[in-house]
Amino acid sequence: MSNEFDIDDVSKLASIELEESEKEKLSKDLSVILDHVKALSELEFEISVDEVFIHPLEKKLNLQEDVVEEFLTHEEALSNAPESKDGKFVVPPSLE
Amino acid sequence: MKIENKSIREINSLFQKKELKPSEFYHKIFDNTAQSESVIHAHLKLFEEENRNKAVQSDERFAKDQSLGLLDGIPIAIKDNINIKGYQTTCSSKMLSEYVSPYNATVINKLDQQQTIFTGKTNLDEFAMGSSTENSAYGLTKNPWNTECVPGGSSGGSAASVAARSSIAALGSDTGGSIRQPAAFCGLVGYKPTYGTVSRFGLIAFASSLDQIGPITKYVDDARILYNSIKGYDSKDATSITDEQIKIPSDKTAKVGVIKELMEEGISDDAKKEVEKVINILKAQGVEVIEVSLPLIKLAISIYYLIAPAECSANLARFDGVRYGLRVEGKTSYEMMEKTRAEGFGSEVKRRILLGTYALSAGYFDAYYGKALLARKNMIDEFNKIFNQVDYLISPTTPTAAFKAGEKTSNPLEMYMSDLCTIPANLAGLPSISVPTGLSKEKLPLGVQVMSKALTDDSLLDFAELIEKEVSFNDEPSDWIK
Repeated sequence: MSNEFDIDDVSKLASIELEESEKEKLSKDLSVILDHVKALSELEFEISVDEVFIHPLEKKLNLQEDVVEEFLTHEEALSNAPESKDGKFVVPPSLE
Repeated sequence: MKIENKSIREINSLFQKKELKPSEFYHKIFDNTAQSESVIHAHLKLFEEENRNKAVQSDERFAKDQSLGLLDGIPIAIKDNINIKGYQTTCSSKMLSEYVSPYNATVINKLDQQQTIFTGKTNLDEFAMGSSTENSAYGLTKNPWNTECVPGGSSGGSAASVAARSSIAALGSDTGGSIRQPAAFCGLVGYKPTYGTVSRFGLIAFASSLDQIGPITKYVDDARILYNSIKGYDSKDATSITDEQIKIPSDKTAKVGVIKELMEEGISDDAKKEVEKVINILKAQGVEVIEVSLPLIKLAISIYYLIAPAECSANLARFDGVRYGLRVEGKTSYEMMEKTRAEGFGSEVKRRILLGTYALSAGYFDAYYGKALLARKNMIDEFNKIFNQVDYLISPTTPTAAFKAGEKTSNPLEMYMSDLCTIPANLAGLPSISVPTGLSKEKLPLGVQVMSKALTDDSLLDFAELIEKEVSFNDEPSDWIK
């Protein structure tokens, strides 16, 4: 793999606006890190990703029954919102 | 022995015998904090006022012989990425500077059942990403052994708090060594339990398949007491497990492997000497010690720095200026999110989010994240094979003793290398403990790491206690008392 790292593209995907000076520094840092992990990306393994568990002890994740439980009240859930109105989160418009 | 140097069991016994009141003890600990905090800055917040009342209530329970357990009235510090209801949880990030948790983490509920005293919230690298606590948005924490040095990270505030005797023990979180590395740098015991045995509910997620809460303490027995108090199945954590512990030998009949790859290049002579010292002690006890090889360990840093950032980029997507945390206004929702995340996250967090986003993006997934998952699986298989031959694996906890503040901040990869020895246990979900064993040439503490197979935590703690007893590391820090 070559490191065709497009900082503008990735920062857009990550929803982080970057200053020009940050772009330069982060591109450089990330190239060094990607160079380091290059050896790994070139290895071949006999298994496929489908056979891998996310749980390191190779356990299935516990799924809960779809049952309503008392946990946070509506007010508590909204208590940290930067802006809320009538029990809802308020956000700027999606389109200009 | 100074009272604040005693073990939890000893302090509890003094409370039980009514030779010491929890409130007297709390005041002693708070006096230490008042002295050390201006130099060390281990805490982001102290809960002094409410704790005075809590300690008096504890006095009353002990007076009536109605105490609630070994941790009743014991002052414990909490890393500021663990939620305590009604208090701020900042994760040392500007993003969460105003966030007040509306619920308790499961570990906090469990400690509350014993009316443990939470001394305060401790400093960390932002969102637990770092190895020196230098990535905090709220200032540096100093190492009580040498204030020019870092306390390690990311649980650097927790370790510094215990080392400066501002708390008797602390909770940290460990994603790639964030409990064990600062514990080693501060001359303490740091213990990362088997993945899934302690609930992560209420721990602000960094990399969910690697994160685990655990204790930083002065003694192995203190770590055992805390672990026994916080462990247990929790339906609120999808990765929580119900499995029983597996018993393996923890006396001189145990068989120990020294990991060849962690005694080679990149490890300082000082760190190697500590492992050799422990090997000699174990051999003198009659324990069989052999050299073992885990070739994939050499790739652990690469695997980790793909998996952890990938999971972090997904976990930290929740900080979008809508439901909680900082908001920077923008004309559209999207602009608001981009500006909020630009302002709220520090540079290391941005670096990891971008790296993870890239590793997961179309066209790169198979080559990066996918390969890292496969290599991780193969490394776990390597560990499993080795544990058919030996009961425990030992290595240095860190390649060197604590480094100076500023020494590694301009070179992220060099900083990442300080987790070389601790990362493999997270990737494989193994229990792992760092035991302080001695001092470097610069008189800074070093630790030896012991790992064992998953679900053998109880035996691992017993075996670590055997090493602790034989090594008898009694030094304590004094650099902050000036």
